[in-house]
Amino acid sequence: MSPSILNRIAVLRAERGLSRQQLAEAVGINYQTVGYLERGDYNPSLELAFRIAEYFGLPLEAVFSRQPFAPMSSQLYGKEESA
Amino acid sequence: MTEARPEHPVIAAWHRRPLSNRVGSRRFRRRMLVATYSAWIAVAVIVKVLSFGPLPPFSLTMILVAANVIIQGVWVGRRTIISTPTLVDAELDERLVQIRNAAFRTAFRVFAGVALIGWIVAMEAMQLQPNDAGRLNAWLIFFGVALLANTLPTAIVAWREPDPIEA
Repeated sequence: MSPSILNRIAVLRAERGLSRQQLAEAVGINYQTVGYLERGDYNPSLELAFRIAEYFGLPLEAVFSRQPFAPMSSQLYGKEESA
Repeated sequence: MTEARPEHPVIAAWHRRPLSNRVGSRRFRRRMLVATYSAWIAVAVIVKVLSFGPLPPFSLTMILVAANVIIQGVWVGRRTIISTPTLVDAELDERLVQIRNAAFRTAFRVFAGVALIGWIVAMEAMQLQPNDAGRLNAWLIFFGVALLANTLPTAIVAWREPDPIEA
């Protein structure tokens, strides 16, 4: 099994107040697939990854990564997460 | 750079029915599958028992046809994320296409074994009993294999697919 690709879809979706159904319709997939992506149970194709990143208006590496994402707070304020 | 080709107006106007996500929990689906195939075996046993009575072979065969049609209607007739093996690529996203292809791979392996064994057993049944009883045995095997051919990929998806998540 290929290593999982990490993503920020759940965070971005919550930030924009989108349901899985809305995101799924916007990028042309079944909403169950959105759940699989968010849980890391399914690695998207490059095309789907680009579609999702473009929908959020972000570069691909801001949405998907092979390494764990740094906490948003540390990226925004330059602070390490205390927990 | 080539421009994206606009969709044909007839195709664009065609209202594609969405796939239903109402498929129940995995536990429920697995129980339904076991119940379905058990019910078919029960029907086959009943038909075999009825064959000792006055019913003509044609009527007995029609009972098997009805059982197959009902089971296929239940499992294959609905447009859900479980019945992906009956849908074309354009109606599925990439994950569902992968699930469908994996189901076809497994189904082919299972079906090939069952069909080969069923073929040999049906031939032997006809040779050992070259009469209506032997023919009925062969028909029972044929309808069982036919049922698997039509429902196995869908059954595999239903068996494997985890519980649905909320939208």
